[in-house]
Amino acid sequence: MSAGTATATTDVVLRLVGESGEGTVSLGDLLVKMFGSMGLDIYTFQTFPAEIKGGTVMYQIRAKSGTTLSFGDAVDVLVALNDEGFDLFGKGLREDGILLYNSDVFTPSPSPGRTDYALPVTTLARAEKEAIRHLITGEALKRLPPPVNIIGLGALLRLVSAPLEPAERYIHDLFDRKGDEIVRMNISALHSGANYIEEKIGNKRTPHVSPMKRDHDIITVTGNQMIAYGALAAGLKFYAGYPITPATEVMEFIAKDIPAFGGEVVQAEDEIAAIGMVVGASYSGKKSMTASSGPGISLMVETINLAAQAEIPIVVVDVQRAGASTGMPTKTSQADLNLAIFGVHNESPRIVMAVASVEDCFWTMTQAFNLAEKYQCPVIVLSDQSLATRKSTIPPPDMSKVHQETRLLASPDERAGGFQRYKDTETGVSPMAIPGMAMGIYTSTGIEHDEHGDPGYTPELASKMKDKRFRKLETLQMTEADRYLKIWGDEGKVDVGIIAFGSTEGVIREATQRAQADGVKVAHMHLRLLNPLPINAIKEFAARCDNIIVPELNYTGQLANWLKINTDIEMIPFHKDEGIPFIPNDIYQMITSISA
Amino acid sequence: MAVATETLHAPKDYKSELKPVWCPGCGDYGVLSALYKAMSMCNLDPEKTVVVSGIGCSSRLPGFVQTYGFHGVHGRALPVATGIKMARPDLNVIVVGGDGDGYSIGGGHLPHCARRNPDITYVVMNNNIYGLTKGQVSPTSMVPLASLNAKIDPKRWKTTPFGMTEDALNPIALAIAMDVSFVARGFSYRPNQLSDIIAEGINHKGFALIDTFSPCPTFNQDQTDDFYKDHTYDIPEDHDPTDKIKAFALALATENYPVGVIYRNDNKHSVLDEQAYLRDRYHDNVDMDQIFARNLSYTVDTK
Ligand SMILES: Cc1ncc(C[n+]2csc(CCOP(=O)(O)OP(=O)(O)O)c2C)c(N)n1
Ligand code: SF4
Ligand SMILES: [Mg+2]
Repeated sequence: MSAGTATATTDVVLRLVGESGEGTVSLGDLLVKMFGSMGLDIYTFQTFPAEIKGGTVMYQIRAKSGTTLSFGDAVDVLVALNDEGFDLFGKGLREDGILLYNSDVFTPSPSPGRTDYALPVTTLARAEKEAIRHLITGEALKRLPPPVNIIGLGALLRLVSAPLEPAERYIHDLFDRKGDEIVRMNISALHSGANYIEEKIGNKRTPHVSPMKRDHDIITVTGNQMIAYGALAAGLKFYAGYPITPATEVMEFIAKDIPAFGGEVVQAEDEIAAIGMVVGASYSGKKSMTASSGPGISLMVETINLAAQAEIPIVVVDVQRAGASTGMPTKTSQADLNLAIFGVHNESPRIVMAVASVEDCFWTMTQAFNLAEKYQCPVIVLSDQSLATRKSTIPPPDMSKVHQETRLLASPDERAGGFQRYKDTETGVSPMAIPGMAMGIYTSTGIEHDEHGDPGYTPELASKMKDKRFRKLETLQMTEADRYLKIWGDEGKVDVGIIAFGSTEGVIREATQRAQADGVKVAHMHLRLLNPLPINAIKEFAARCDNIIVPELNYTGQLANWLKINTDIEMIPFHKDEGIPFIPNDIYQMITSISA
Repeated sequence: MAVATETLHAPKDYKSELKPVWCPGCGDYGVLSALYKAMSMCNLDPEKTVVVSGIGCSSRLPGFVQTYGFHGVHGRALPVATGIKMARPDLNVIVVGGDGDGYSIGGGHLPHCARRNPDITYVVMNNNIYGLTKGQVSPTSMVPLASLNAKIDPKRWKTTPFGMTEDALNPIALAIAMDVSFVARGFSYRPNQLSDIIAEGINHKGFALIDTFSPCPTFNQDQTDDFYKDHTYDIPEDHDPTDKIKAFALALATENYPVGVIYRNDNKHSVLDEQAYLRDRYHDNVDMDQIFARNLSYTVDTK
């Protein structure tokens, strides 16, 4: 990650809670912007209510000088905009933490050790609007919202001793076109919030957020955003999808930019249509994908199988949400691993990958397209709600490092004289023809077929063709599976090894580092490729671990079970499925309890 | 339309080496011949043509045509074809399949294909039954209602041995209501007329639905070729297919079925044009680095 220098070390965890739609999220976004512009490393976690309007949102931000691997264990500063939020999410605050609450709305019962700051946000914001009442009139005045968020921003920045200049610059950027009065009102609101808190701080201890110098540019992006950008960078030309939380944003980000790349997006009538269109578009030669979540992926299962049988490259992203059936659409989980690997009738080859961080969303997506093209089969990419909505500060991906693979096309020679679309080859991969190619005519089909694509049901043909298709996964496993994983932590013999996948990478790394600091020998293997598994690498890793923990966010321990099917290594499953991510302490405790 | 410019293709040039697997006397043979002829009339370039289907007896058709083909899953031919046509507007895309495939399991896609109006020709081989699964009722089956104490041969309408419990749907009236931009009815035992209709459908710029009576002698002893010979008539020459009300009137006929082009709307816009417009207008509008730059939160030079 980024090399940088800090004037002082910063590591602050802020949690905002309040009514959704009340500006909690926009205040959080503002803070992320400010801290980001100060060069700090950001990691956020958002959890949303089930209600369409209303309900309590929680927005946690960790700002750190140096790499931020998780949203932290305990909250340093809790900002409670209403009592319901305080009741629901107040428990995360450290015992000696700071509570800033909207005193216009409620007064929390006191707690020893905690430092409380009452901020009458609404009153202060109204006063700012009052102050310029004589300068604007009529509709404009009526439509002008009191600068509640800016009051909150000023107060918070001062509370953590952060400079106000970035906020002032931001206010200018945002409001300059709206006129002097509006700019002045907001600047004044910023200082009003800051001054109000300043007086109350006195000589009390507060956390410090100090700007940091970086030696390269930084972008602030979410997981869903980087999935979309990774796909575009990989050469995506066709996207079809149907809205579903928490995957919809992938489609929204792609829709905005894909015309520039000569591609298109269709909002289909349902997920079955979406995946059908994706298969059709890829059959005709274009890199194609869809994204959905559990319920939608369930509907796509039949057509994903068709793509495997007809050998059509497609990428399907599953942004996992929590719970079976409708479950908890706004919560997170890693419980679709089984669906990704086994969600099919009969058996057919497919590749399953998982993204590990916001930055990795980009790179794993480019690889997903490459593997789909190379092995002419479906690639299912698992993400999840916590990663989808997570904001991270990362360097802009280096486009010169993006490699675009394209499917093996049949040469004119291969097409001449009875083209064999499904030629039984050593690798299992058969050269493909694209409609429009001379002499390439064939019928792509889900029905069992011979090498020409003509239907056939003989026992010999059935075993030969199924073997050919599955051989592609063997080829992948033998030639390159070991590339799609990362190993962190200690080398050589270790007390504790961790094998995991998906959005938990950062949290596990942080816990690992903490345990290492205690003198425990720990190593951590994080899998990007889950089918086929990089068996050799896993066995090698396991051989140097005295104990192996497999932490995952689901009820039955799906990764542990999958590893059990494929290897004979002993594992300690560690799974929880509560709709929220692990915190570093969960993993750290597990490591220390085992190494002890 | 991708037309072969150098060669003239005869109907037989569209015939593949694969022998049709249909029962003797199946109406689908007539549809297949009419399709060969229509493709020849339009001189479609076989290498720039894709025939797409779902699952069913009728859906086996793509393999019998010497063009690119796609034989997918039951009911999903229209989405697959839409994906092909949107990704590759240069290709001729023809969809074929059964009444179960198109109006039952795939029925939900029809209105949306109508809304998108891609330049696709869809020939439904309507035999008023499920052929491949051996004789269950389809949404267009004309089986008497159970409450009429119908004496039904349980060997024939297997899953509804006491008669139907729901009404049949009228695909032509539905298609007009959905504003499918070209709606026609064909009959496989009027092959010349059918090839004319299919050719007209291919030439129509937009989504064309040609519901074709294509009797299944094996499982449907009621809607046979003779039945349809007695219950169809040519649409009068003076019918104006752009008149939606008149088209509805024709579509609602229940005793005698008019055959020919019933409705057309040549002014309906198409998803293909909309997407082409967007690609044109925003072509090279941004590159990846510019997209990243939009999300810059920290820049080295300004600090
Ligand atoms: C998802 C799914 N459900 C059911 C089937 C079984 N099935 C195959 S074809 C068919 C109906 C065929 O009827 P139709 O579409 O009218 O075609 P026909 O055989 O009459 O030409 C059914 C129910 C299937 N293949 N896939
Ligand atoms: S079962 Fe009916 S529809 Fe199927 S091939 Fe035989 S005659 Fe044709
Ligand atoms: Mg049928």
